Amino acid sequence: MLETLANLFPGIGTMFAMDPTTAIARIALIVLGFLLAYLGFKGTLEPLIMVPMGIGMIAVNAGTMFLAGGEVGNIIVNPLVADTESIMAAMQINFLQPIYNLTFSNGLIACIVFMGIGARSEISFLLAKPWTSIIIALFAELGTFVTLVLGVLVFGLAPQVAAAIATIGGADGPMVLVASLMMAPELLVPISIIAYLYLSLTYGGYPALIKLLVPKKYRGIDTYVETPAVSQKAKFVFILVACGFLCLILPVAAPLFLSFFLGMAVKEANVSHYTRLLESGLSYLATLFLGLLLGVLCEASTILNPTVLTILILGILALAISAVGGLLGGWVMYFVHKRKGTEFNPVLGIAGVSCVPTTAKLAQHAASEENPFAMILPVAMGANISGVITSAIIAGIFITTIGMVA
Amino acid sequence: MNIVLYALMTYGLAAVISFAVVAIIVVIGKVMSRPDKNEEESTDA
Repeated sequence: MLETLANLFPGIGTMFAMDPTTAIARIALIVLGFLLAYLGFKGTLEPLIMVPMGIGMIAVNAGTMFLAGGEVGNIIVNPLVADTESIMAAMQINFLQPIYNLTFSNGLIACIVFMGIGARSEISFLLAKPWTSIIIALFAELGTFVTLVLGVLVFGLAPQVAAAIATIGGADGPMVLVASLMMAPELLVPISIIAYLYLSLTYGGYPALIKLLVPKKYRGIDTYVETPAVSQKAKFVFILVACGFLCLILPVAAPLFLSFFLGMAVKEANVSHYTRLLESGLSYLATLFLGLLLGVLCEASTILNPTVLTILILGILALAISAVGGLLGGWVMYFVHKRKGTEFNPVLGIAGVSCVPTTAKLAQHAASEENPFAMILPVAMGANISGVITSAIIAGIFITTIGMVA
Repeated sequence: MNIVLYALMTYGLAAVISFAVVAIIVVIGKVMSRPDKNEEESTDA
């Protein structure tokens, strides 16, 4: 009777066929998937990623069945297949396998998302306060480097693995995906999942950190900014030169630089068809599949990997320290501007954490709460774009040089 | 190389490259924003 029921409802039947820890983990992930999707729906977490990710988590952990040979699995995706023959077989069975193998596991999906970020980035914001923006962005990378050191010295990770996890401190999902792919491919899935999960949590955590580190009277400071009149031609030339320069210096990160600056270039060149495609079509399609893939990759077996706990701890530390670093940069810039007799809102430091445009919006929101007339978004967006550039530079440096660590 | 030394070195290197990129922005912005002499003359006329 029980066997018949198990065969009739394999989603439930497999719960009893697997070891209790995995079964409990499956149930926990179904609940977590529901929670993430619901929080995305409510806008507490980033809905673009969390809604597809949550549904994916529910589906993959509920839809487990008995496969040929009595194995327990699903027909959605199998990230563990490695040899060509198995991949070809999996592609004909698992409906998301082609998307996983042809876009996720080679970083293409990250590059497409990056093209969209480029198309949505306005270089004028960076030109308004270029030095301030880049200094804040560098401060906001503190978490990356501290986590790298902690990962190796405290957690005993291999430098490549620690570096891949440390890139979470850059708060840039596509960058984390590419960095993990290059430095720790065996941990690509857990690192990417945790990075995107945490990046979504910045919505909830960073405002509290801002309130903790920036007293109320400073949060409402308006930051005057005069955006220089730069021609579209100048912006376009800058994009080409910066892309060439960065690819020349860090060829391993060339796909990221190319994608980001391509998005910017088509926008400045007024190629409206491409801009629309990247901005509202392709990048959203890529984000949808990215979220869905991250969700369906959240199988119980992935989460039960002992390294996941280390990634969870280091990931949250990386983002928290980067935020503290960014706000410290905001304070440094506040005092620098004060000496010059101008005003600068220290909250802007959080925008150096390159979670485009979330952290810039958070900075503006924190300022608006105290002073409805404070307009700091243009400077915040400049710091945000600088953050993307510095994160890509750091990922490139790590991938190129991490072999130097003994 | 020691990891602490490596982290400091790469942080410094990232700063140098980032500043170089900003320098490129500023220089190109300044050079290309300079009013063209011919254009100025024709406007005056």
